[in-house]
Amino acid sequence: MTITGPTRADALLDALDRGLPHGEIPVGLFGNQEIYDRELRRLFGRCWVFLAHESEIEAKGDYVLRKIGEDSFIVIRDEHGGINVLFDACRHRGVQVCRSDSGNTSHFRCPYHGWTYNTKGDLVGAPLWRNAFGGMPKEGNGLTKAAKVASYHGLVFATLDPSAPPLEEYLGGMAWYLDLLFGLNEHGMEIVGAPQRFVIDANWKSGSDNFAGDDYHLGTLHRSVWEIGAFPVPFRENMMGYHVQAAPGHSLSFSMAPTEDEPGPKFFGFPEELVATFDTSRISAHQLDIARRSRVMVANVFPNFSILALPMTEDGAHHPPTGVVTIRTWQPHGVGQVEIWNWFCVYKNMTPAQKDRAYRAGLGTFSMGGAFEMDDTEPWITVSRTGRSVAADLLDFKLNYQMGMPGVGIAKPVEDWPGPGISYWTRYEEGVQRNLYRFYGDMMRAEPGAWPKFSFDD
Amino acid sequence: MGRVMAGSPLYDEVVQWMDIEAELLDEYREREWLEGMVSQEVVYQVPLRQTVERARGTGFVDGVYHLDETYGSLRSRVARNETAYAWAEDPPSRIRHFVTNIRASEDGDAIGVRSNLLIFRTRQEQTQPQLLSGERRDVLRREDGVLKLYRRRVLLDLTVIGTHNLSIFF
Repeated sequence: MTITGPTRADALLDALDRGLPHGEIPVGLFGNQEIYDRELRRLFGRCWVFLAHESEIEAKGDYVLRKIGEDSFIVIRDEHGGINVLFDACRHRGVQVCRSDSGNTSHFRCPYHGWTYNTKGDLVGAPLWRNAFGGMPKEGNGLTKAAKVASYHGLVFATLDPSAPPLEEYLGGMAWYLDLLFGLNEHGMEIVGAPQRFVIDANWKSGSDNFAGDDYHLGTLHRSVWEIGAFPVPFRENMMGYHVQAAPGHSLSFSMAPTEDEPGPKFFGFPEELVATFDTSRISAHQLDIARRSRVMVANVFPNFSILALPMTEDGAHHPPTGVVTIRTWQPHGVGQVEIWNWFCVYKNMTPAQKDRAYRAGLGTFSMGGAFEMDDTEPWITVSRTGRSVAADLLDFKLNYQMGMPGVGIAKPVEDWPGPGISYWTRYEEGVQRNLYRFYGDMMRAEPGAWPKFSFDD
Repeated sequence: MGRVMAGSPLYDEVVQWMDIEAELLDEYREREWLEGMVSQEVVYQVPLRQTVERARGTGFVDGVYHLDETYGSLRSRVARNETAYAWAEDPPSRIRHFVTNIRASEDGDAIGVRSNLLIFRTRQEQTQPQLLSGERRDVLRREDGVLKLYRRRVLLDLTVIGTHNLSIFF
């Protein structure tokens, strides 16, 4: 009989549980191999994970190759217009059957022995079928599918866990906030081109943590963007706004002027001609009001899907800042690496000139060659180094997430917040990140089939 | 469009231009490079690349980039690197541009130049370099008698970029 005691991962999760009420997080979460292995199974193996936008696969047979955790999945629109998420492994010997990052096809053929699958993943044949497999049913030998697939405002998610709740229940209060960006008009959004991909030596959680609402870092890490005029809202003013724990695990942050009459960008800096097409037919007056007053929205859908809308320019001398929307995933790539996937979104009804402006402004700021993003990777690399540190372990080193806790700083709960979730006024606050790690801890401990709560009201 | 023969005065001028450019970029003399060697009308692009089947070509995606720069946005990048808050490059990474296989062709005032590029990059105590390999397709143009970079398209041999940022110039 094998007796297994508590592992290092268990000890770190215990330390997280004990530390969170005091705003403390063990740094080992960012560098421990056991923790990482457990994340792949318990987070990426269970949660709804963002894969693609429907506009990337508009025509029948269009597909893109994407990741859940470290594994490849084909996201394809079938002959009937449905979206299938297929594990990219031939049922015969496990060989990769999709050999392009994107494309259009009626079938996938395995290069090893020629097993061939249609756009629904059904096995349709193999060479010399009668000799080789005559009598064996094709049914049940298709490509393995993700347990559930759903999309929200064109954002396609999948989960590998059949016990997962419906996507909208999983998103909980976050759906309301996705509405007020992606649902501002009836046309919706589309992706520009294909995603950028880059790998850096950091832990994936640093990205989620940052986009959950780390606004405070702008004043130091991103100070250069003000010096070159890339972003129009001064740092101190930009700290005014709301932090929202939309639902357990899902957090976001709005930079918002105290009153509507305040000068400065409205509607994330979108052009006025576009704003004229926004209406409340699909969203509530409260949602429209939040969008109108917002200068920046930054959000993270647990575990690793982030959204950012804000006014930016790549060339302040020639172009005023304009509304940019980027969505990204922080794909785990080993405990010490993250592969960043970065998409730019535009509203479908924008003019070609508006789309071009938004794309250039986004590319020049929020991409690995952009004025904002190029500095972000710098600290994240060393967070993961500290996460692997023996000294951190021996010295009981903990990370401080106390900003905005009672008696710390100026942030205060907002009693009459019109949206779902828990809100704080002023963004000097780290409850958004504590919310991320509280749900993280719950998911990491949840037994198969069991789920933490998706609402604070339950 | 006529090939510029190796050993001709124009070819030598092009090679010297490429070598000087590499020297300025390796020595962080970015403003000198921008103001002395780059046309105000420059289009400077690093297109995005995907893995695709051979029949579909080289995988570069139309209209999608890692970098798509004008003179204004390049100036913005240079200015950014000159601020005291350009953490990405302070302390700076150590970079070296290796430029080889230079082929030039002449078309009126424009000189098309194709070259192979290998950027060797290390930072802090790294011992393993970050390597960026690709082909540059440039157009140089004589402006007031001086050769200027008018077009640059960098075709990387990568679909996933493996360096911590693109704060460098290709």
